[in-house]
Amino acid sequence: MRIVCPFCGERELGEFSYLGDAKPVRPAADAGEEAVYEYVYLRDNVAGVMSENWYHGGGCRSWLKVTRNTLTHEISAVEAAAGAGARQVAK
Amino acid sequence: MSSSAIPSSTIRMEGASVAEFSWDVRSPLDRALVAGAYGARGDAGVSLTEIRDFDLVQVMARRGKAVDMAKAAKARFGVAAPQTPKAVETPDATLIWSGPDQFFVLSKGGKHAALAPAFAQSASLSDQSHARVLISISGVKARTMLAKLSSIDLHPDAFPVGAAAATSMDHTSVTLWRENDRADGLAVFNLLAFATFAESLWHTMLDSAAEYGVAIGHSEELA
Repeated sequence: MRIVCPFCGERELGEFSYLGDAKPVRPAADAGEEAVYEYVYLRDNVAGVMSENWYHGGGCRSWLKVTRNTLTHEISAVEAAAGAGARQVAK
Repeated sequence: MSSSAIPSSTIRMEGASVAEFSWDVRSPLDRALVAGAYGARGDAGVSLTEIRDFDLVQVMARRGKAVDMAKAAKARFGVAAPQTPKAVETPDATLIWSGPDQFFVLSKGGKHAALAPAFAQSASLSDQSHARVLISISGVKARTMLAKLSSIDLHPDAFPVGAAAATSMDHTSVTLWRENDRADGLAVFNLLAFATFAESLWHTMLDSAAEYGVAIGHSEELA
């Protein structure tokens, strides 16, 4: 598997670390225990297209948001995640 | 940022003179590098030269200040700093891309000891002079040898003079770039790696290059 880093270009999987589902959003401070429990522990086991966080630690050290099909490993999109660089910040 | 040894000062302790602070700056390859020939005999296919006593400053844009940093770099160096994986020669330094909105300033002789004022409003600076090893790789088999260690396409069409990459070799993060060709026309690849990984990477490189014959040396000069 290869990932096309938006900053470095196409790179082998070994340069990246998988950081899991990119969908969960940290709940507000007053959201309650249920919401926090879900955010921390509950994950969908997606068979198909999934949005994931990856880290290009063996390269430019940017956080990436990768859209990947978990059945075929096909990657349909890669974009910089929040915190990648000081300028390119995706919400 | 000069790498000369700092003279020790002494304090008196019950009649004995005790060194309170002293160090020698040593190359990360001080123990591992043995100048001369290595591996297969005959004409060396690979030259490995450690560049010693260089100055290296990491420049990283502060949040929302990337445009300001680019302007400051242009004003300070006379040319634009790289915004894509490239290495740019300036009259007194090489600017090497190291990630989005960040680059290295590589030079000699403490020329950039006073770099901070130029970037005071836009970027954070970090002196990495003694945190990296710098190895220059050339020779007729340099690319063949590097292909064993790197997944980067180093063909001249894909990796011309001035190309750079933040990548990994032997599970070690490195900054790799191609500088101007040697006088005999052969490509020169430069590699910055963390100082603490220097010996490990060096031995891996020697293993990779041994079958082609290696000419090992070190230099105080940036090529």
